[in-house]
Parts: sequence; structure tokens; C-alpha cells
Amino acid sequence: MIGEFVLMTGRSNVLLAKQIGKLLKKKVHEPVSIFSDGEVRVRIVPNLRRRHVFIIQPTSFPVNDHLMELILMIDAARRASSSEIVAVIPYFGYSRQDRKEMPRVPISSSVVARCLEAVGVDRIMTVDIHSEQQQGFIKGAWDNLYGSYALIPALKKKHLKGIIVGSPDKGGVARATGYAKLLRADGIAIVYKERDVAINNSSETLEMVGEVKGRNVILVDDIIDTAGTITGASDFLKRRGAKQVIAAVTHGLFNGTSLERIEKSGIDKVIVTDTTALRDEVRKHPKVEMVSIAPLLAEAIRRVQTGESISSLIL
Amino acid sequence: MRIVSGSAHSILASEIATILRVPFAPSDIHVFPDGEKRVRIDEKIVGENVVVVQPTSPPVDANCMELFFLLDAVKRSGAASICAVVPYIGYQRQDHVFVSGEAVSLSVVIKILESAGIDRVVCFDLHSIKIPQLFTTTSLSHLSALPLFAELIKKNKWMEESVLVSPDMGGIRRVKQLSRQLGNMPYASIEKNRDLTTGAVSADILHGEVAKRALIVDDIISSGRTVETAAALLKEKGVERIYVFATHPVFSNETPYVLQNAPVEKVFVTNTIAVPKEKQFGKLEVLSIAPLIAEELLKPATSN
Repeated sequence: MIGEFVLMTGRSNVLLAKQIGKLLKKKVHEPVSIFSDGEVRVRIVPNLRRRHVFIIQPTSFPVNDHLMELILMIDAARRASSSEIVAVIPYFGYSRQDRKEMPRVPISSSVVARCLEAVGVDRIMTVDIHSEQQQGFIKGAWDNLYGSYALIPALKKKHLKGIIVGSPDKGGVARATGYAKLLRADGIAIVYKERDVAINNSSETLEMVGEVKGRNVILVDDIIDTAGTITGASDFLKRRGAKQVIAAVTHGLFNGTSLERIEKSGIDKVIVTDTTALRDEVRKHPKVEMVSIAPLLAEAIRRVQTGESISSLIL
Repeated sequence: MRIVSGSAHSILASEIATILRVPFAPSDIHVFPDGEKRVRIDEKIVGENVVVVQPTSPPVDANCMELFFLLDAVKRSGAASICAVVPYIGYQRQDHVFVSGEAVSLSVVIKILESAGIDRVVCFDLHSIKIPQLFTTTSLSHLSALPLFAELIKKNKWMEESVLVSPDMGGIRRVKQLSRQLGNMPYASIEKNRDLTTGAVSADILHGEVAKRALIVDDIISSGRTVETAAALLKEKGVERIYVFATHPVFSNETPYVLQNAPVEKVFVTNTIAVPKEKQFGKLEVLSIAPLIAEELLKPATSN
């Protein structure tokens, strides 16, 4: 039995929110408008008293505005006596600033989590958060789902033989191993940057472990931003004899000259999900293929609502 | 003491630092292609009383988040105490629920500020007298630009044949306060009405007597339309010369044109918010609040 709940979204990815609404057969409310000086205004119309509310808002570009919309929607829901507020943040902005990598810097991701907690969020739901330790930033529940739920079926449909799963950096080895298992791949390959200590630590070259000659390589990563890392790794893999290189990435930010880079590089395909609103030129790009994350999020919302296990959803 | 500044108003921060003779270096603020900010404080601040200067003026969300990040960096770097100087606090006009279902955005900003573990907040001319109550754990120094305006009015001998005017009934408290500082000079108020469907402002009724000279006093100028309509009404009532005083220049793109073409002699504002070159205009004069902030920072923080 599904209890009463309300779906809401800000302005960051209305299309995704509406798709989730369609799957759950629910209207999606849009309570955000903007004042002339750029300040966000939130007004929630439906009755939230003793109802659960799911606020769907990835905090993608422009991140600060989308973040403030989310924070103010949570505040308005709290004041409207909602009994549980779930922030569904498919892409969690600032999640790459998750540690103090030098003196006198903030842990920005922790600041964001604290902002959400300060206004009274009960639960956070993310997809492929950059580092899972971030779940510890708040006292409440934080469900992190995996984009592989959408990406693996899309990859399987390609019926590729002789798959090697590749990671474009040393940090992604665990993810690559997971994908390799799910895809029954023949092995994994890791591309990494090597600094030449002899020349003042400044020169960087790519190196790799694994064998890719004549193989179909699936490069997996959580975020494609300016596409420098992934195209660099693809070209390197091609030079090492890879037959095809397909990137499977959860969050497609596609900043800067990313599309140009993808165009020019040896990469054959980039499969991304719609955790962020993808621009038209990205959606229509011949090398980009999109799979929707809406079914995963709709199912997760349904399970939170009915009290079923979420972990069995996790691939 | 150390002064740390965000990118919203580093000129004000350096002015304060100069007056107090304390070191100041602007923070290192990098903006990534997706709009994410990465802040870094350049100088060591461990064991210091740190003052972070950042009005949360437009672009309000980016400036707010930058302030929260700076405070986090300061907190994690072992400062002895943290004071946030936020001369203009964004979202202060959304200070209560006007229509059910709304957020109280100002309370949200204050809650997040307080959750950063700061000791003190310094701000100027809050929109309503009830706002200070929203601060629950932090010492608040609520300063006013009115003494600066009073000084200027005295210097120019604008008290004679003059009347202080509030452009709306909500600002009458402010005008009364300034009147007291100027030996009870006369004051009046305009009844402003806003059409709820079109948003158009009309000013039809004047409560009080006019004089040859009128001094319009307000807290915030945003579009400038309120000042424009007030000035037109005063002219109609026979006022010859009009001067405008407002603390916060939250100017939109059209404001310089609106005010430059309004029937007023001069517009005095303060630098609680940086006024960029493209928003400056001939009739505008900016007064500095830096001395008031510096003086306040030398006093011990008061408890709420």
C-alpha cells in the first residue's frame, strides 16, 4: 500500500521529475518562481499536512541557485507540516569538494549537506555520489543509488563480445570491478596518470595496467565534466589497440569544450543518464546516448513510501 | 584580528582593514565551469579573531553559498572567534509567511549562518524591526546608516524649510528615528499602493505637510520605481528640491536610468553593497559605512 505523498520539483530538471511523476501516476508540483532581484520565491499550493514529500532537484549548473531553490523548498515543506521530507538529489553538486586537500579550504560538500539538514530534511537520496563517505555528513538517512541500474541494461543491449571494463583513473577501480562482474567481462584495465619525478614532477603521461588489444572497452566513470579525462583515456586505449571504446557515465555535465573533445577523440560512444538536464546539443550529439534514470528513482521513491528494502534495488 | 573577504565586496573589506590597521588579503576564489565555487583563505588564521566580510547581495545565491563556504574554511582552520560582517543580508524581504505555503527565506539564511558555528554577525538596517529575533544563538550588531545621513543633512543645513518623507507607510519608523537625530525635524509619509496583479506602484496620498525641500528616506532601493513615484507626487504637491537617502543599493539594471531621470537632485546610498561602474550615475553619491563597522568591531560583542 502506498500512503499519501506529494512530488515537487524546482527548476533544475523538470523533465526528469515529470517522468518520475508519470511512472508513479502523480502530479509534480512546481513551487518555485524568481523575484526581479534574482531571489528565489517558493510557494507550495497542495496540502502537505502529515504527508510525505519528495523534492526532486539535482544541484547541477547553476549550482548555487538550484541549491537555494532546494533549501527553500525544504523550508516551505517543513512549515507546511509535512511529516517526512525526502530530498531526491540525483546529481549532488559540490560532491567533488569532499575533503580538505590543502590548508584553509572548506569541505564544501559537507557545508551543502549541513544546509539541507539545518532546514530540516529527513532523508537524502542520491545517485552515484562522488564518494560514499559523504553519507556521514548528516545524522539522517542517506540512500545512495547506482546509475548502473540504468547503464548496465543499455550496455547489455549492445551484445558486445570480449569486454574489458576500464577505469579512467586510479580512484575508479572499485566501480570498474563492479561493472566487470555485472557485464561478465573478461577483465579490467586501469588508465592512470604518471608523473615524471625526474622533471620536477610536472610532466604527466598516461600509463595503464591490463590488456585491451582487439577488445571492446567499456570506460566507466561517475561524472563527465569537461571530458578531458575520459577522452584522454579513450585515445590512449585506442593507441594500445582497443577495438571500440564506449564510456558509461552516470552524470553528464558536459561543460566547456566537452562536446568538441568527444567529437575529436577516438571514443565511439558516451552513454549517460539524465540525472542532470541535458542540453539539446548534448541529446542530439551522434556520439551521445541517453538512458533515463527515472525508473530507478520512481522505484526507490515507491519503496521508501511502502517501507520496502532499497538495498535490493542496488545493482 | 584578521579580515577575510569573499568576492562580493572586497573593497569594503580592505577599507575596514585599513582603518583597523590589520592585515588583509582577498581570498582565493575559483569558479569551476559548472558554477561551483572553490574558496581558499590565503593567510594563516589559527588562533586569530577572524572577521569575514561578505554582503549577500545579487547574485544572492552564489554570494550566500560563498559566505557559508568561507565560514566553514575559517572554522576548520582553528580561528579563535568568527564574526560575519554581512552589511546587506539577502532574502530579508521574505521575513515571514505572506501567503500560506511559502518559505521564510530569511530565517533559512540565518539558520544556516548560525549552524556554521559563528560568534557574531554585523549587519545594517534590516527591513523589519522583528528580524533580530530570528537570530537565536549569535550575537547580533544591528547597525544603521541613519547617523551618516543625519551628519550629511546637518553639514548641508538641510533641516530648514525641509521635511523628511517616507515613501511608504512601512518606513515611518525609520523617518521618525532620523527626525529625532535631527532635533525633531518635521516628517511625512506617502501611502503607497501596489497593484497585486500588475505589480505597478502608485503613490496617491501624502500624510503630513510638505516643505520647499523634501528628503526621501528608505532602507532599500531596488528598481527605483518607489522613489520615482514618490518624487513625482511630492513635486505635484509643490516641493521644489528633493534628495534621496537609502542604505542598500540593490540596484537592478534599469535603476540608474530610473533615478537619473527622476525629479530628484541627488541620491545618497551607502556601500553595504558594491555598486559596479555600470550602475553608477551622475546623481548618485556613495557614503562609506567602513568606519562604523571598524568602530563596532573594536567593541566587545553584546549578547542577544
